[in-house]
Amino acid sequence: MIDHDQPTTRPGRARLGRWLRIAVIGRNPKITLARIVILVVTCVVVFKFVLLPIRVEGVSMLPAYKDKSVNFVNRLAYLRHGPRRGDVVGLRLGGTNVIYRAPGVMYMKRIVGLPGETVAFADGDLLINGTALDEPYVKGPCDWNCAPVTVGPNQYFVMGDNRSMPQDYHVFGKANKEQIVGKVLF
Amino acid sequence: MKNVLRFVLALAVAALGVWLWLVLFPSPEKVIGRQFEKLARAASIQSGEGNLPRMIAAQKVGDFFSTNVEINIDLPGRQQHATMSRDDIVQAVLAAQSAGGLTVKFPDINVMVGADKETAQADITVEARVPGEQDMMVQAMKFTLRKIDGKWLITRVQTVRTLS
Repeated sequence: MIDHDQPTTRPGRARLGRWLRIAVIGRNPKITLARIVILVVTCVVVFKFVLLPIRVEGVSMLPAYKDKSVNFVNRLAYLRHGPRRGDVVGLRLGGTNVIYRAPGVMYMKRIVGLPGETVAFADGDLLINGTALDEPYVKGPCDWNCAPVTVGPNQYFVMGDNRSMPQDYHVFGKANKEQIVGKVLF
Repeated sequence: MKNVLRFVLALAVAALGVWLWLVLFPSPEKVIGRQFEKLARAASIQSGEGNLPRMIAAQKVGDFFSTNVEINIDLPGRQQHATMSRDDIVQAVLAAQSAGGLTVKFPDINVMVGADKETAQADITVEARVPGEQDMMVQAMKFTLRKIDGKWLITRVQTVRTLS
């Protein structure tokens, strides 16, 4: 029996197979492999040492950062300058003797007080050196009171944006510069 | 080409040797790190577990501690400075587990072994989660360990204030 379709289907299949191969592994498999290696190495270096992916847990940074939202911490943000007021940073909880290693858990806080400044709370107003600080990122009502605290020379005063939660449940205070892992990207 | 292959093969053999050495003779830091991972697994319990598995898990947790443990907890609303026996620790674990399930993780373990190789200090971030509750508890802690009868046992537990 002669199959009249054969001469036309075989080259068609071969062409399809060739295109599929090109689509999957490229025209030159060696170059494709090199590209894959470079891509994997770049991703590992970037996401393990430079831009740390984080998932926000909790409500202390509401409304700017919602619970379960995803973000990145830029570890190179403070190479050329120090942290600035208003920066949202990732803070390591302990183990500052191994600062090269990225921590698994971080606090996410906003820098409100710089080295040498005095930070206090009076009826919900954040006072820096006795003057109320304008905080557009704070939305809810706040009735916190806190005695003046002087920030040390190598320290930053950090706190969350959600001041409508009870003061006792909110983690805030002075953080050493070594605790700052990097600046939150978005 | 042959030389390159030989070089690559020699490198692979050397890497395998180093890996084998590290597996067979782990550093004390590695041993303690693994011990804390086991401790986290032992302290974690599913919400539907019966009393017997809870008891076994609590006993396992107790095995990681020395007979007397110095406890220094300094948290807002809770302060405790006491010396607890291993049985007290088992009871405390049982009490913590009785509320339902409990998931404990140590995401950051930094171990420093003393010059005498008999004592060590571990800076650890403790992450605890109770099923059904939205927020997890995160606390930096410092554990002091001593090598007793060839086993690293926890002799002191203290909380660390992250922000002063």
